[in-house]
Amino acid sequence: MLRWFTNRGWTPFDFQHETWSAYLAGQSGLIHAPTGMGKTFAVSIPPLLEWLNEFPEESTWPKSVPMRLLWITPLRALANDTAQSILAPITDLEMPWTVQLRTGDTSASVRAKQRERFPSVLVTTPESLSLLLSYSGTREKMESLRCVVVDEWHDLLGTKRGVQTELCLARLRNWFPNLRTWGLSATLGNLEQARDVLMGSAAPKAKLVSGDLKKRIEVETMIPADLEKFPWAGHLGLNLLPEVLKYLERARTTLLFTNTRSQTEIWFRALLEAKPEWVNDIALHHGSIDRAVREEAEERLRAGTIRCVVCTASLDLGVDFSPVEQVIQIGAPKGVARMLQRAGRSGHQPGAVSRIVCAPAHALELVEFSAVREAIGAGDLESRLPLERPLDVLVQHLVTVALGSGFRETEMIAEVRASYAYRDLTDEEWRWCIDFVTRGGQALKVYPQFSRVKNDGGDFTVPDPLIGRLHRMSVGTITSDSAVTVRVVRGARLGSIEESFIGRLKPGDKFSFAGHALELVRVRDMTAYVRRTKKLSGVVPQWMGGRMPLSSQLAKGVRKKLSEARRGIYEGLEMRAVKSVLEIQNSWSRIPEPDELLIERLQMRDGVHHFIFPFAGRLVHEGLAALVAYRVSKTTPASIAVTLNDYGFALLSAATISLSDDEWKKIFAQENLLDDLLACLNSAELARRQFREIARIAGLVFQGYPGSGKTTRQLQSSSGLFFDVFTKYDPENLLLNQARREVLERQLEVSRLGNTLKDVSEMKIVLCETERLTPLAFPLWASFVQANVTSEKWSERVKRMALQLEMAASKEGQVSTK
Amino acid sequence: MLEINCSGETLRLLPDKAVFWPRRKTLIIADLHLGKPAAFRKSGIGVPENTTTDDLARLDGLLEQNGGERLVILGDFFHATAGLQPEMLETVETWRGNRSSLEILLVLGNHDKHAGHPPSSWNIEIAENPRIDAPFLFCHEPQESSEQYVLSGHIHPAISLSEKFGGGIRAPCFCFGQRCAILPAFGSFTGMRNITPRKGDRIFAIGSGQVIALTY
Repeated sequence: MLRWFTNRGWTPFDFQHETWSAYLAGQSGLIHAPTGMGKTFAVSIPPLLEWLNEFPEESTWPKSVPMRLLWITPLRALANDTAQSILAPITDLEMPWTVQLRTGDTSASVRAKQRERFPSVLVTTPESLSLLLSYSGTREKMESLRCVVVDEWHDLLGTKRGVQTELCLARLRNWFPNLRTWGLSATLGNLEQARDVLMGSAAPKAKLVSGDLKKRIEVETMIPADLEKFPWAGHLGLNLLPEVLKYLERARTTLLFTNTRSQTEIWFRALLEAKPEWVNDIALHHGSIDRAVREEAEERLRAGTIRCVVCTASLDLGVDFSPVEQVIQIGAPKGVARMLQRAGRSGHQPGAVSRIVCAPAHALELVEFSAVREAIGAGDLESRLPLERPLDVLVQHLVTVALGSGFRETEMIAEVRASYAYRDLTDEEWRWCIDFVTRGGQALKVYPQFSRVKNDGGDFTVPDPLIGRLHRMSVGTITSDSAVTVRVVRGARLGSIEESFIGRLKPGDKFSFAGHALELVRVRDMTAYVRRTKKLSGVVPQWMGGRMPLSSQLAKGVRKKLSEARRGIYEGLEMRAVKSVLEIQNSWSRIPEPDELLIERLQMRDGVHHFIFPFAGRLVHEGLAALVAYRVSKTTPASIAVTLNDYGFALLSAATISLSDDEWKKIFAQENLLDDLLACLNSAELARRQFREIARIAGLVFQGYPGSGKTTRQLQSSSGLFFDVFTKYDPENLLLNQARREVLERQLEVSRLGNTLKDVSEMKIVLCETERLTPLAFPLWASFVQANVTSEKWSERVKRMALQLEMAASKEGQVSTK
Repeated sequence: MLEINCSGETLRLLPDKAVFWPRRKTLIIADLHLGKPAAFRKSGIGVPENTTTDDLARLDGLLEQNGGERLVILGDFFHATAGLQPEMLETVETWRGNRSSLEILLVLGNHDKHAGHPPSSWNIEIAENPRIDAPFLFCHEPQESSEQYVLSGHIHPAISLSEKFGGGIRAPCFCFGQRCAILPAFGSFTGMRNITPRKGDRIFAIGSGQVIALTY
């Protein structure tokens, strides 16, 4: 085997040697290394070595090898590449091993065949593994399994898919106590914890292997030639198009990263308009585009036959595109680890240099890039915090296991508690989950005829085949708004768009998608039929989510850079470029010191607006803004709209709000934080929104499945309706609790919010009356309204809105509503 | 509560998502969807049962407050066959027993056609087709009639309103058009669908125990 490695001109790295011997000694572990350092071979080779030790004589090799290795990858796109890498030594040494994929893309007939007989190596996703557990007999067919590998663990960590993986691993370890687990991860701020989460109760014996060889990374920032024209706000960065074109012309192959799928569409369109001759030279890649189209782009990247692929996080993960020469990042990086990850997409060979060029979308992003460069230099990376016992995922898993081999309570609770996420699961929570799947809810509430899981003398099973079928359809914790397939009339499938976007279009409306100019023809059975049109025009779909918050590491860096600027220190290209803008900020208002909270108050024609800058990242600001708006509305009856970004938030209101420094101090008080937050959560409907995801995972809401027919159509309902019904008839329902907890912990980062309030309480409040929008305030003014808080009566508001409608109607001559 | 004039008749729009017609002492509702929670539970989706008793209690209250002697249901009385479970059927039967003098007319809706008719012992008059009660025509699905003004359901109408600062409101509503009115869904476990009013439509939004006229 070693000869196979050296025959290819490779020398194993130390961390590969270390992993191989640890594996052969029966150990588990987590390997962390930058991408492109040979992590795959570090763990794919030792199971082969082990087998060769068992069968040293080629003449004694069996005809076929049952399942020895299970490989879990978060991304379907990675599965194929991984399988090829694992297969290479097997093919060369003519070993009787088989390697197969099993993902959502695998055909039903292949999957059925696999259930009869597993390959020696199965490459799969967390969802597909979970589905395997829902079939009886899986355990027997996996009997010879020696090792399970979790690839890109950093991507799963901190997500519900990660928790789903933890539960599946706990099950496998319960079946096969000697099973080894190996994880592969990019470098993180909390690697030991990442290992502990992966291993669950088996953690103490597991290794942490570092492949952290120094990888050279060059970071460069594009500075627009004409700084005067550099906008103060916006997220597109299209003003840098000419510069970006120059960079594209210089390199053979470029990955152009944007932060959202919509930006990808817009940039693709802009590039084509500027360079129509590149029509066959550039491609588009994001999560909603059809797989075949994505695969074509990936294939051309691998072959190096494409100039540029415009993409999002869909290409963040470890596919090996060796020909990529440079990476361009459009818009703020938002996190240090993510920037490193993206940079690593170029120079994807051990020893090569990674190059990333940053293209700021507006002036203040220059500060962020400057801070990111400093953090990369200092190796100051973010952590990814694991989730704590999300009950929706557990409920889904319990049904999965009951459907598969079935379970008994004492054994199952021990198995679940062996996972990190549920190590502190209380008896009451367990009881509630069991009640939820067997009775529909708590024993005392009325849930007649309910049966999902049956408790048959202590054996928990799913006897109803219809329920089993529905459950398998909905397994998976990746959640998105219900997606509508986009298909050309009598033609190809282009991908999928969220229903809410299509819902706003009428037949005949034009829009761009997957780089095509399209016209909507009709929507039927969750499919939007479209026709191609000539010119790229019309609206670009907005996808929900996908907006990354500024990490606290980077937020701190930005504050530091601003503080330097206040003292007249402008170090580095980026800071010198943004100097004139920051000087305007300082003369019109103020650049806040780290111990100051800046509040700008601006009287405009339509009301009095406040712009507040805690620099704590958008997640914290979301909670803080809701809290502050709620408290302000208690002092003055008003309806307040809230906008926010990573630097601060704005309260926009038609009412005249006038508070003194002392009153502001009280608004930011730490007292009653949780009570006030919960009070404004209900009015801001945040918990209700969070409940969408929970309802889907817990199996309350079915998405419309194409071809699933009447059975599911009569069961369609909105999560909002469930939220209302539970709130009224079963307020103790733990899923409601979970929604509130998730909003507090994940969405609003309540602990970080508490810290921010504590910081603010020690800060000096600087209230500035401004005459016009400042460079810091303008982006807030220009962004979308995020939330609304009101202390006015429902009927008053409806009447006022009705009046506005009538006024609008008399102007347009017709009634219009949203 | 709000009284409006419609085709020469006075109609009382009630915040409990029903219409009362004083001259005929008739309470009119649409889309009750009885048994919907049970149908969900049957498929392994847990929904509490209490909505049926609650909905019937609301009906009682409305009949008493307004002196109703007749109930007209504009379709979708039952949700689905799977929802016809003994508990729900018993609850409704008991309710019917206590109100045996109440005259009930059910104009069949699309769900009723699959779910089946209520038991004959409940003494509910079934209308397979739209029923004339001049000047009105009782229907399930909204439609046009040259003779009568149509009262219908089926849509579960909601109206969305928004303003620049302070966000939006979504509320169930009555929609009275030129020749056809659509009632909100009466059942508690039913969804809503946004409507886009046409010129001349009278929209009445429902919320916090009130009915508010929006456009004339």
